[in-house]
Amino acid sequence: METNTTSLPMKVLVAVLFLFLLAPVILVVPISFSGEQVLSFPPASWSFRWYTALLNNSAMISAFWTSLLLGAIVTVISLAAAIPAAYVIVRMRTAGSGFLYNFFTAPLLLPTIVLGLAILIVFASIGFLGTFSGLVIGHLVITMPYALRVLATTLGNLPLACEEAASTLGGRPITVFRRVTLPMMAPGIVAATALCFLVSFDEVVITLFLTGPRLSTLPVQLFHHVESRADPLVASVSVLLIFLTLAVVMIVDRTVGLSKTFVK
Amino acid sequence: MMHQKILSGTPTASTDSDVHLRLDGLTKRYGDSVAVAALDLAVPKGELVALLGPSGCGKTTTLRMVAGLITPSDGRIIVGGSDITTTPTYKRDMGLVFQSYALFPHMTVAKNVAFGLEMRSVPKHEIEKRVKEALAMVRLEALSERKPRELSGGQQQRVALARALVIRPSILLLDEPLSNLDAKLRDEMRTEIRDIQQSLGITAVFVTHDQVEALSMCDKVVVMKGGKLEQIGSPIDVYEAPATPFVASFVGRTNRLEGSANGDGTVIIGTAVLRVPGRPGGKVEILVRPHRIKLVDANASPEGSAERFNRLAGTLTRVTFVGDLLQYHVDVAGTEVIVEAASDHGRGFWKAGAPVALSWRVEDTMVFGRGA
Repeated sequence: METNTTSLPMKVLVAVLFLFLLAPVILVVPISFSGEQVLSFPPASWSFRWYTALLNNSAMISAFWTSLLLGAIVTVISLAAAIPAAYVIVRMRTAGSGFLYNFFTAPLLLPTIVLGLAILIVFASIGFLGTFSGLVIGHLVITMPYALRVLATTLGNLPLACEEAASTLGGRPITVFRRVTLPMMAPGIVAATALCFLVSFDEVVITLFLTGPRLSTLPVQLFHHVESRADPLVASVSVLLIFLTLAVVMIVDRTVGLSKTFVK
Repeated sequence: MMHQKILSGTPTASTDSDVHLRLDGLTKRYGDSVAVAALDLAVPKGELVALLGPSGCGKTTTLRMVAGLITPSDGRIIVGGSDITTTPTYKRDMGLVFQSYALFPHMTVAKNVAFGLEMRSVPKHEIEKRVKEALAMVRLEALSERKPRELSGGQQQRVALARALVIRPSILLLDEPLSNLDAKLRDEMRTEIRDIQQSLGITAVFVTHDQVEALSMCDKVVVMKGGKLEQIGSPIDVYEAPATPFVASFVGRTNRLEGSANGDGTVIIGTAVLRVPGRPGGKVEILVRPHRIKLVDANASPEGSAERFNRLAGTLTRVTFVGDLLQYHVDVAGTEVIVEAASDHGRGFWKAGAPVALSWRVEDTMVFGRGA
């Protein structure tokens, strides 16, 4: 860290900018404690009624559990596929390495709405719409590129010499990977886990095409709720989402450090 | 290329049973460029051999081929009579110390050292004992529970050495192990590595671009340039009887003068006549080491006979104080010659601008042909 020499006007400017960026998010918190029937700020009366309403809204609760389970499964599969993929692409450097990397990270460059439509068309023909496995596959299309990109960068920055040292000491390739490469990739793996989970948990566009009447994720359920009603229930859901995201970010910060993980 | 001194150039003749590591026409090509060109080398058991050369000379590539980290394009690597050219790295039983040390950052010092033993399925209590011994050897017992990032460069270097030696490798390979240390530590580690190598009697190959390391630590020096072998010899051979002008200028410093030889043991440089060892002919270059030349008064009568001493007249252009030495820059008919003398409290006898003469013994004159 450099010594802090930020001048006062700069500090004020930064504070104003942060306020501008965060104001909508911060506003959600008081609104969630509103006692009114409709969204308004500032609320005329205060209560916990919308948190009670949320607990009694079975559609919303079941969508939350769907999102949580979906995020967890998608994260596990993404990592299980991206770790070996990153190893092959970065360490084994075969003729197709560059092509493979670009191919797997290409979905990042496509508009999600186009991806959503494409997946809809394919899934409609094979009867995957409105199924949990359909959601898992759909989310994998967008989480895999993130996981691969983060892990490939992590691995690319690791000194090859440590793995070489391990092999001169008698480590077979698989042992070297397990005992040296994988532990050294830990910060990247934590970052990829957090990213995959948050991207999946937060995903709306593709999910909109894939959910059905009996299966919905929290963001999609929230979206439908806002379409039909304007009550402060959405604010209480939003507050819970904000805290969940904060929790994930804080876990990452405590384990490997935030700047080390996301700023590269 | 002319060899004026016959004692140089020939590798120590050793019988096959003495040879521990043998490189047989070892070659590495990358596309059209050749990193190592048909290198032959025989390292006797228990010797420390330096691969010395500028960056890009192929010394590190050679070492990595021996370790199995690079696949040779051609040639063979033989250790103790068996061909290991295609043996994978993890079965080669070599201890490699990296320039960057390459310690495992997520393991303690003790775990780093234990790694190779765990790979060999050594029983737990024996691992403990041998790790302790290895750390004692490099005087780091007290730091065994530290992580590498909590150690200084010199300490990390010692851990790397202990980790490579604890497996009792058949050959110890060192890839510029001292180049990341400061000057004082480098001197210490030089002695330490040499002492450990000799007390264990282990065959070792040491890659370096530092001639002082190569000369002071090693039994034998292999000078390489552009992937090719320039000379193999003892440190004294390589320094005193360089096989090529490149070796002469890379190992120690030299002055270079051009002249033409008469074929009778004399060489004409400008108007001066110099005596050289042997009887070369044609265009030649003369090399003399700076500290072998004495600066004398231009008008003084020659010291000793012209049979034994060479003499050249010049003008002193600059005196540089470099601590323990004084460097005199002398202009000899347009060519700069550097003379080194012990400095006497920073005072030089000679002042810039003085007409001086250079004097050195005939046998300190190295002469090489200058092509056709």
